Amino acid sequence: MWSFYFHELMRSMPFFLKGVYMTVAVAGLSLIFGTIIGFIAGILRAGRNKPARFIVGAWVDLIRGTPFLVQVFIIFFILPGIGIELEAFPAAVIALTNLTASFICEIVAGGIIAVPQGQREAATAAGLSYYQQLRFIVLPQAMRTILPPLVGQYVLLVKDSSVVSAIGVVDITRVGWLTVQRVPEGLMVFGLVGLLYFAICYPLINLSGFLERRMTVASTKL
Amino acid sequence: MISFKNVNKWYGELHVLNKVDLEVEKGEVVVVCGPSGSGKSTLIRCINRLEPIQKGELFVDGMAVHDKKINMTKIRADIGFIFQSFNLYPHMTALENTTIAPLKVKKMKREEAEKIGRKMLTRVGLADRMDHYPTQLSGGQQQRVAIARGLTMKPKIMLFDEPTSALDPEMIHEVLDVMRDLAKEGMTMMAVTHEMGFAREVASRVIFMDEGTIIEVAPPNDFFTNPQTDRGKTFLQSILTH
Repeated sequence: MWSFYFHELMRSMPFFLKGVYMTVAVAGLSLIFGTIIGFIAGILRAGRNKPARFIVGAWVDLIRGTPFLVQVFIIFFILPGIGIELEAFPAAVIALTNLTASFICEIVAGGIIAVPQGQREAATAAGLSYYQQLRFIVLPQAMRTILPPLVGQYVLLVKDSSVVSAIGVVDITRVGWLTVQRVPEGLMVFGLVGLLYFAICYPLINLSGFLERRMTVASTKL
Repeated sequence: MISFKNVNKWYGELHVLNKVDLEVEKGEVVVVCGPSGSGKSTLIRCINRLEPIQKGELFVDGMAVHDKKINMTKIRADIGFIFQSFNLYPHMTALENTTIAPLKVKKMKREEAEKIGRKMLTRVGLADRMDHYPTQLSGGQQQRVAIARGLTMKPKIMLFDEPTSALDPEMIHEVLDVMRDLAKEGMTMMAVTHEMGFAREVASRVIFMDEGTIIEVAPPNDFFTNPQTDRGKTFLQSILTH
Protein backbone atom coordinates (compact mmCIF):
# COMPACT_ATOMS: atom_id res chain seq x y z
CA MET A 1 0.00 0.00 0.00
CA TRP A 2 2.74 2.36 1.02
CA SER A 3 4.65 1.89 -2.21
CA PHE A 4 1.46 2.41 -4.19
CA TYR A 5 0.89 5.72 -2.45
CA PHE A 6 4.50 6.66 -2.96
CA HIS A 7 4.10 5.96 -6.66
CA GLU A 8 0.95 8.08 -6.72
CA LEU A 9 2.75 10.85 -4.92
CA MET A 10 5.60 10.78 -7.42
CA ARG A 11 3.05 11.12 -10.19
CA SER A 12 1.85 14.27 -8.49
CA MET A 13 5.34 15.79 -8.63
CA PRO A 14 4.53 18.21 -11.48
CA PHE A 15 1.65 19.49 -9.34
CA PHE A 16 4.03 19.95 -6.41
CA LEU A 17 6.51 21.78 -8.61
CA LYS A 18 3.73 24.18 -9.58
CA GLY A 19 3.17 24.67 -5.87
CA VAL A 20 6.87 25.40 -5.41
CA TYR A 21 6.66 27.89 -8.24
CA MET A 22 3.66 29.59 -6.58
CA THR A 23 5.36 29.72 -3.18
CA VAL A 24 8.50 31.18 -4.75
CA ALA A 25 6.40 33.69 -6.72
CA VAL A 26 4.38 34.85 -3.69
CA ALA A 27 7.39 34.92 -1.36
CA GLY A 28 9.72 36.38 -4.02
CA LEU A 29 7.43 39.29 -4.90
CA SER A 30 6.75 39.96 -1.22
CA LEU A 31 10.49 39.83 -0.57
CA ILE A 32 11.19 42.50 -3.18
CA PHE A 33 8.32 44.83 -2.22
CA GLY A 34 8.71 44.13 1.50
CA THR A 35 12.41 44.96 1.39
CA ILE A 36 11.85 48.23 -0.43
CA ILE A 37 8.97 49.33 1.80
CA GLY A 38 10.73 48.01 4.90
CA PHE A 39 13.86 50.05 4.18
CA ILE A 40 11.88 53.23 3.55
CA ALA A 41 9.82 52.67 6.71
CA GLY A 42 12.94 51.82 8.72
CA ILE A 43 14.69 55.00 7.57
CA LEU A 44 11.62 57.02 8.59
CA ARG A 45 11.43 55.16 11.91
CA ALA A 46 15.04 56.12 12.69
CA GLY A 47 14.63 59.60 11.23
CA ARG A 48 14.03 63.11 12.52
CA ASN A 49 10.38 63.53 11.55
CA LYS A 50 8.32 62.84 14.69
CA PRO A 51 4.89 62.27 13.08
CA ALA A 52 6.45 59.87 10.56
CA ARG A 53 8.23 58.03 13.37
CA PHE A 54 4.99 57.72 15.29
CA ILE A 55 2.90 56.53 12.35
CA VAL A 56 5.46 53.93 11.28
CA GLY A 57 5.82 52.76 14.88
CA ALA A 58 2.06 52.35 15.27
CA TRP A 59 1.85 50.42 12.01
CA VAL A 60 4.67 48.08 13.07
CA ASP A 61 3.03 47.42 16.43
CA LEU A 62 -0.32 46.77 14.80
CA ILE A 63 1.09 44.26 12.32
CA ARG A 64 3.30 42.53 14.87
CA GLY A 65 0.46 42.41 17.37
CA THR A 66 -2.08 40.59 15.18
CA PRO A 67 -1.97 37.04 13.78
CA PHE A 68 -0.87 36.85 10.17
CA LEU A 69 -3.80 34.61 9.27
CA VAL A 70 -6.19 37.30 10.48
CA GLN A 71 -4.36 39.90 8.38
CA VAL A 72 -4.73 37.68 5.32
CA PHE A 73 -8.45 37.26 5.99
CA ILE A 74 -8.92 40.99 6.46
CA ILE A 75 -7.31 41.73 3.14
CA PHE A 76 -9.05 38.93 1.26
CA PHE A 77 -12.52 38.81 2.81
CA ILE A 78 -13.13 42.15 4.44
CA LEU A 79 -11.68 44.60 1.93
CA PRO A 80 -14.19 43.48 -0.75
CA GLY A 81 -16.90 44.61 1.70
CA ILE A 82 -15.69 48.18 1.25
CA GLY A 83 -15.39 47.79 -2.50
CA ILE A 84 -11.78 46.55 -2.87
CA GLU A 85 -12.01 43.25 -4.71
CA LEU A 86 -8.79 41.24 -4.84
CA GLU A 87 -7.80 37.93 -6.36
CA ALA A 88 -6.17 35.46 -3.98
CA PHE A 89 -2.68 35.95 -5.45
CA PRO A 90 -2.43 39.75 -5.15
CA ALA A 91 -4.14 39.57 -1.75
CA ALA A 92 -1.47 37.10 -0.61
CA VAL A 93 1.36 39.25 -1.94
CA ILE A 94 -0.07 42.36 -0.27
CA ALA A 95 -0.51 40.61 3.09
CA LEU A 96 2.98 39.08 3.02
CA THR A 97 4.59 42.29 1.81
CA ASN A 98 2.94 44.17 4.63
CA LEU A 99 4.08 41.64 7.23
CA THR A 100 7.64 41.43 5.93
CA ALA A 101 7.97 45.19 5.57
CA SER A 102 7.00 45.71 9.21
CA PHE A 103 9.68 43.30 10.41
CA ILE A 104 12.34 44.63 8.04
CA CYS A 105 11.45 48.15 9.19
CA GLU A 106 12.51 47.26 12.73
CA ILE A 107 15.70 45.55 11.55
CA VAL A 108 16.68 48.56 9.42
CA ALA A 109 15.80 51.13 12.09
CA GLY A 110 17.80 49.15 14.64
CA GLY A 111 20.80 49.00 12.31
CA ILE A 112 20.69 52.74 11.64
CA ILE A 113 20.38 53.62 15.32
CA ALA A 114 23.31 51.34 16.15
CA VAL A 115 25.70 53.46 14.04
CA PRO A 116 27.63 55.60 16.54
CA GLN A 117 26.45 59.20 16.87
CA GLY A 118 30.01 60.38 16.19
CA GLN A 119 29.72 59.20 12.59
CA ARG A 120 26.79 61.52 11.96
CA GLU A 121 28.52 64.33 13.78
CA ALA A 122 31.65 63.99 11.67
CA ALA A 123 29.56 63.98 8.51
CA THR A 124 27.47 66.92 9.72
CA ALA A 125 30.61 68.88 10.54
CA ALA A 126 31.90 68.23 7.02
CA GLY A 127 28.74 69.76 5.55
CA LEU A 128 27.05 66.59 4.28
CA SER A 129 23.27 66.84 4.10
CA TYR A 130 20.98 64.50 6.01
CA TYR A 131 20.37 62.44 2.89
CA GLN A 132 24.08 62.30 2.02
CA GLN A 133 24.94 61.16 5.54
CA LEU A 134 22.40 58.39 5.26
CA ARG A 135 23.51 57.33 1.82
CA PHE A 136 27.29 57.45 2.21
CA ILE A 137 28.04 57.18 5.93
CA VAL A 138 25.21 55.66 7.95
CA LEU A 139 23.59 53.03 5.71
CA PRO A 140 26.83 51.39 4.52
CA GLN A 141 27.80 50.85 8.15
CA ALA A 142 24.29 49.88 9.23
CA MET A 143 24.21 47.17 6.52
CA ARG A 144 26.61 45.11 8.64
CA THR A 145 24.05 44.94 11.41
CA ILE A 146 21.11 44.68 9.03
CA LEU A 147 22.16 41.94 6.60
CA PRO A 148 22.22 38.77 8.73
CA PRO A 149 18.77 39.28 10.35
CA LEU A 150 17.42 40.53 7.02
CA VAL A 151 18.21 37.22 5.33
CA GLY A 152 16.85 35.45 8.41
CA GLN A 153 13.64 37.38 7.84
CA TYR A 154 13.49 36.04 4.27
CA VAL A 155 13.50 32.52 5.70
CA LEU A 156 10.54 33.43 7.91
CA LEU A 157 8.84 34.98 4.89
CA VAL A 158 9.05 31.73 2.90
CA LYS A 159 7.64 29.77 5.82
CA ASP A 160 4.92 32.32 6.66
CA SER A 161 3.82 32.23 3.04
CA SER A 162 2.21 28.83 3.74
CA VAL A 163 -0.57 30.72 5.53
CA VAL A 164 -1.85 32.17 2.26
CA SER A 165 -2.94 28.66 1.21
CA ALA A 166 -5.93 29.40 3.47
CA ILE A 167 -7.38 31.80 0.89
CA GLY A 168 -6.88 29.39 -1.97
CA VAL A 169 -3.46 30.25 -3.32
CA VAL A 170 -2.18 26.97 -4.70
CA ASP A 171 1.25 27.02 -3.06
CA ILE A 172 3.18 24.02 -1.70
CA THR A 173 0.95 23.74 1.37
CA ARG A 174 -2.26 23.91 -0.69
CA VAL A 175 -0.93 21.30 -3.06
CA GLY A 176 -0.30 19.12 -0.01
CA TRP A 177 -3.92 19.58 1.14
CA LEU A 178 -5.26 18.72 -2.29
CA THR A 179 -2.96 15.74 -2.74
CA VAL A 180 -3.69 14.21 0.63
CA GLN A 181 -7.31 13.78 -0.44
CA ARG A 182 -6.18 11.50 -3.23
CA VAL A 183 -3.18 9.98 -1.46
CA PRO A 184 -4.36 9.51 2.13
CA GLU A 185 -0.89 9.07 3.58
CA GLY A 186 -0.57 12.34 5.51
CA LEU A 187 2.92 11.78 6.86
CA MET A 188 4.29 11.08 3.41
CA VAL A 189 2.51 13.95 1.68
CA PHE A 190 3.32 16.58 4.26
CA GLY A 191 6.80 15.12 4.63
CA LEU A 192 7.29 16.07 1.00
CA VAL A 193 5.71 19.49 1.62
CA GLY A 194 8.16 20.10 4.47
CA LEU A 195 11.09 18.91 2.40
CA LEU A 196 10.25 21.31 -0.41
CA TYR A 197 10.05 24.27 2.01
CA PHE A 198 13.32 23.17 3.53
CA ALA A 199 14.94 23.03 0.09
CA ILE A 200 14.04 26.70 -0.42
CA CYS A 201 14.96 27.84 3.08
CA TYR A 202 18.17 25.93 3.70
CA PRO A 203 20.35 27.97 1.31
CA LEU A 204 18.95 31.14 2.87
CA ILE A 205 19.73 29.88 6.38
CA ASN A 206 23.28 29.16 5.30
CA LEU A 207 23.58 32.57 3.67
CA SER A 208 22.39 34.24 6.87
CA GLY A 209 24.92 32.29 8.94
CA PHE A 210 27.68 33.11 6.49
CA LEU A 211 26.83 36.82 6.54
CA GLU A 212 26.71 36.81 10.32
CA ARG A 213 30.20 35.31 10.57
CA ARG A 214 31.56 37.61 7.89
CA MET A 215 30.12 40.76 9.39
CA THR A 216 31.47 39.85 12.82
CA VAL A 217 34.96 39.29 11.43
CA ALA A 218 34.80 42.46 9.37
CA SER A 219 33.88 44.61 12.34
CA THR A 220 36.57 43.20 14.60
CA LYS A 221 39.54 45.44 15.12
CA LEU A 222 42.73 44.17 13.56
CA MET B 1 36.31 85.51 12.29
CA ILE B 2 34.35 83.98 15.17
CA SER B 3 32.23 86.20 17.33
CA PHE B 4 30.23 85.16 20.40
CA LYS B 5 27.83 87.82 21.67
CA ASN B 6 26.15 87.03 24.98
CA VAL B 7 25.80 83.35 24.03
CA ASN B 8 23.73 81.16 26.35
CA LYS B 9 22.93 77.49 26.24
CA TRP B 10 21.09 75.17 28.60
CA TYR B 11 20.77 71.40 28.86
CA GLY B 12 17.50 71.29 30.73
CA GLU B 13 18.27 73.12 33.97
CA LEU B 14 22.01 73.08 33.46
CA HIS B 15 23.38 76.37 32.21
CA VAL B 16 26.26 75.06 30.07
CA LEU B 17 27.18 78.36 28.42
CA ASN B 18 26.58 81.45 30.49
CA LYS B 19 26.79 84.86 28.79
CA VAL B 20 29.80 84.01 26.66
CA ASP B 21 31.43 86.90 24.82
CA LEU B 22 34.44 86.17 22.67
CA GLU B 23 36.08 87.47 19.51
CA VAL B 24 38.55 85.34 17.58
CA GLU B 25 40.48 87.12 14.85
CA LYS B 26 41.68 85.62 11.60
CA GLY B 27 44.93 83.71 12.09
CA GLU B 28 44.54 83.49 15.85
CA VAL B 29 45.17 80.29 17.76
CA VAL B 30 42.97 80.11 20.83
CA VAL B 31 43.39 77.34 23.38
CA VAL B 32 40.39 76.62 25.58
CA CYS B 33 40.95 74.88 28.88
CA GLY B 34 39.06 74.27 32.08
CA PRO B 35 37.85 71.48 34.31
CA SER B 36 35.63 68.71 33.06
CA GLY B 37 32.04 69.89 32.54
CA SER B 38 33.05 73.53 32.25
CA GLY B 39 31.43 73.91 28.83
CA LYS B 40 34.61 74.11 26.76
CA SER B 41 33.61 71.38 24.30
CA THR B 42 30.12 72.80 24.03
CA LEU B 43 31.66 76.19 23.27
CA ILE B 44 33.43 74.99 20.14
CA ARG B 45 30.64 72.60 19.12
CA CYS B 46 28.33 75.61 18.89
CA ILE B 47 30.54 77.24 16.28
CA ASN B 48 29.43 74.87 13.51
CA ARG B 49 26.10 74.25 15.24
CA LEU B 50 26.72 70.68 16.23
CA GLU B 51 24.94 72.14 19.25
CA PRO B 52 22.41 74.94 18.79
CA ILE B 53 22.56 77.94 21.11
CA GLN B 54 19.41 79.19 22.78
CA LYS B 55 20.17 82.82 23.37
CA GLY B 56 22.62 85.37 22.04
CA GLU B 57 24.40 85.79 18.73
CA LEU B 58 27.17 83.80 17.12
CA PHE B 59 28.81 84.86 13.88
CA VAL B 60 31.34 82.90 11.86
CA ASP B 61 33.01 84.78 9.03
CA GLY B 62 30.10 87.23 9.08
CA MET B 63 27.40 84.53 8.91
CA ALA B 64 24.81 84.27 11.66
CA VAL B 65 25.09 80.73 13.04
CA HIS B 66 22.44 81.48 15.69
CA ASP B 67 19.86 82.12 12.95
CA LYS B 68 17.76 78.94 12.65
CA LYS B 69 16.90 79.76 9.04
CA ILE B 70 20.47 79.96 7.82
CA ASN B 71 21.82 77.10 5.70
CA MET B 72 24.73 75.64 7.64
CA THR B 73 26.21 73.58 4.80
CA LYS B 74 28.34 76.39 3.44
CA ILE B 75 29.56 77.45 6.90
CA ARG B 76 30.30 73.89 7.97
CA ALA B 77 32.26 73.25 4.77
CA ASP B 78 34.54 76.12 5.80
CA ILE B 79 35.17 74.77 9.29
CA GLY B 80 37.29 71.69 9.96
CA PHE B 81 36.28 69.87 13.12
CA ILE B 82 38.49 67.34 14.89
CA PHE B 83 36.93 65.03 17.46
CA GLN B 84 38.44 63.41 20.51
CA SER B 85 37.43 59.97 19.20
CA PHE B 86 38.55 60.72 15.58
CA ASN B 87 35.20 59.56 14.10
CA LEU B 88 36.77 58.35 10.87
CA TYR B 89 34.38 56.48 8.59
CA PRO B 90 35.38 52.85 9.24
CA HIS B 91 34.10 51.55 5.89
CA MET B 92 36.36 53.87 3.91
CA THR B 93 40.10 53.99 3.37
CA ALA B 94 42.13 56.94 4.61
CA LEU B 95 41.99 58.49 1.14
CA GLU B 96 38.23 57.91 0.80
CA ASN B 97 37.75 59.50 4.21
CA THR B 98 39.43 62.64 2.95
CA THR B 99 37.64 62.80 -0.41
CA ILE B 100 34.00 62.15 0.50
CA ALA B 101 33.20 65.71 1.60
CA PRO B 102 34.94 67.43 -1.34
CA LEU B 103 33.13 65.04 -3.71
CA LYS B 104 29.66 65.36 -2.21
CA VAL B 105 29.61 68.81 -0.63
CA LYS B 106 31.82 70.73 -3.04
CA LYS B 107 30.91 68.54 -6.04
CA MET B 108 34.59 68.31 -6.92
CA LYS B 109 35.69 65.92 -9.66
CA ARG B 110 37.07 62.64 -8.30
CA GLU B 111 40.49 63.23 -9.84
CA GLU B 112 40.77 66.63 -8.24
CA ALA B 113 39.44 65.45 -4.86
CA GLU B 114 41.91 62.57 -4.77
CA LYS B 115 44.76 64.88 -5.69
CA ILE B 116 44.04 67.19 -2.80
CA GLY B 117 43.30 64.23 -0.50
CA ARG B 118 46.73 62.74 -1.28
CA LYS B 119 48.36 66.09 -0.77
CA MET B 120 46.80 66.53 2.67
CA LEU B 121 47.56 62.96 3.78
CA THR B 122 51.16 63.49 2.68
CA ARG B 123 51.22 66.73 4.60
CA VAL B 124 50.25 64.95 7.85
CA GLY B 125 52.92 62.31 7.17
CA LEU B 126 50.71 59.48 5.96
CA ALA B 127 51.71 59.20 2.31
CA ASP B 128 52.21 55.45 2.78
CA ARG B 129 48.87 54.84 4.52
CA MET B 130 46.38 56.18 1.98
CA ASP B 131 44.73 52.85 1.22
CA HIS B 132 44.57 51.67 4.83
CA TYR B 133 41.30 51.39 6.67
CA PRO B 134 40.96 53.18 10.04
CA THR B 135 41.18 49.90 12.00
CA GLN B 136 44.57 49.29 10.40
CA LEU B 137 45.95 52.57 11.73
CA SER B 138 47.19 53.60 15.16
CA GLY B 139 45.30 56.22 17.15
CA GLY B 140 47.79 58.93 16.25
CA GLN B 141 47.58 58.02 12.59
CA GLN B 142 43.78 58.01 12.71
CA GLN B 143 43.73 61.48 14.23
CA ARG B 144 46.10 62.71 11.53
CA VAL B 145 43.80 61.27 8.87
CA ALA B 146 40.97 63.17 10.56
CA ILE B 147 43.00 66.38 10.33
CA ALA B 148 43.76 65.70 6.66
CA ARG B 149 40.06 65.05 6.12
CA GLY B 150 39.31 68.48 7.56
CA LEU B 151 42.01 70.16 5.51
CA THR B 152 40.83 68.84 2.12
CA MET B 153 37.87 71.19 2.43
CA LYS B 154 40.32 74.14 2.53
CA PRO B 155 38.74 75.39 5.75
CA LYS B 156 39.04 78.93 7.06
CA ILE B 157 38.86 77.68 10.64
CA MET B 158 39.97 74.49 12.34
CA LEU B 159 38.34 73.42 15.60
CA PHE B 160 39.85 70.76 17.83
CA ASP B 161 37.86 69.08 20.59
CA GLU B 162 40.43 67.41 22.87
CA PRO B 163 42.30 65.99 19.89
CA THR B 164 44.93 64.14 21.91
CA SER B 165 42.90 62.97 24.91
CA ALA B 166 42.16 59.53 23.48
CA LEU B 167 45.75 58.91 22.42
CA ASP B 168 48.53 56.93 24.04
CA PRO B 169 51.25 59.29 25.29
CA GLU B 170 53.77 58.33 22.62
CA MET B 171 51.33 59.30 19.87
CA ILE B 172 50.36 62.68 21.20
CA HIS B 173 53.38 64.48 19.77
CA GLU B 174 52.72 63.37 16.18
CA VAL B 175 49.28 65.00 16.30
CA LEU B 176 50.54 68.10 18.08
CA ASP B 177 53.31 68.48 15.46
CA VAL B 178 50.69 68.64 12.72
CA MET B 179 48.62 71.14 14.71
CA ARG B 180 51.70 73.24 15.39
CA ASP B 181 52.52 73.38 11.67
CA LEU B 182 48.97 74.45 10.90
CA ALA B 183 49.12 77.19 13.51
CA LYS B 184 52.39 78.46 12.13
CA GLU B 185 50.94 78.60 8.62
CA GLY B 186 48.35 81.07 9.87
CA MET B 187 45.28 78.84 10.23
CA THR B 188 42.60 80.26 12.50
CA MET B 189 42.27 77.66 15.23
CA MET B 190 40.38 76.97 18.42
CA ALA B 191 41.50 73.97 20.41
CA VAL B 192 40.12 72.47 23.58
CA THR B 193 43.23 70.90 25.02
CA HIS B 194 45.28 70.56 28.16
CA GLU B 195 48.54 70.28 26.24
CA MET B 196 50.27 73.20 27.86
CA GLY B 197 53.45 72.90 25.79
CA PHE B 198 51.39 73.32 22.66
CA ALA B 199 49.50 76.25 24.15
CA ARG B 200 52.68 78.03 25.23
CA GLU B 201 54.30 77.59 21.87
CA VAL B 202 51.55 78.55 19.43
CA ALA B 203 48.51 79.94 21.22
CA SER B 204 47.83 83.63 20.90
CA ARG B 205 45.43 83.44 23.82
CA VAL B 206 44.33 80.94 26.43
CA ILE B 207 40.72 80.91 27.56
CA PHE B 208 39.96 79.42 30.93
CA MET B 209 36.37 78.31 31.47
CA ASP B 210 34.48 77.08 34.49
CA GLU B 211 30.77 76.36 34.94
CA GLY B 212 29.88 77.68 31.51
CA THR B 213 31.59 81.02 31.96
CA ILE B 214 34.80 82.38 30.52
CA ILE B 215 36.79 83.26 33.62
CA GLU B 216 40.12 84.28 32.20
CA VAL B 217 41.46 85.28 28.82
CA ALA B 218 45.20 85.83 28.66
CA PRO B 219 48.32 85.20 26.58
CA PRO B 220 49.55 81.68 27.44
CA ASN B 221 52.63 82.75 29.37
CA ASP B 222 50.64 85.11 31.55
CA PHE B 223 47.97 82.54 32.26
CA PHE B 224 50.34 79.71 33.06
CA THR B 225 52.73 81.71 35.23
CA ASN B 226 50.32 84.10 36.82
CA PRO B 227 46.63 83.17 36.69
CA GLN B 228 44.43 85.99 37.95
CA THR B 229 41.72 83.93 39.59
CA ASP B 230 41.70 81.35 42.35
CA ARG B 231 39.84 78.88 40.17
CA GLY B 232 42.51 79.30 37.50
CA LYS B 233 45.25 78.66 40.06
CA THR B 234 43.51 75.54 41.41
CA PHE B 235 43.01 74.23 37.90
CA LEU B 236 46.63 74.77 36.88
CA GLN B 237 47.88 73.05 40.00
CA SER B 238 45.67 70.06 39.34
CA ILE B 239 46.87 69.59 35.77
CA LEU B 240 50.53 70.31 36.47
CA THR B 241 50.79 67.89 39.36
CA HIS B 242 48.92 64.99 37.84
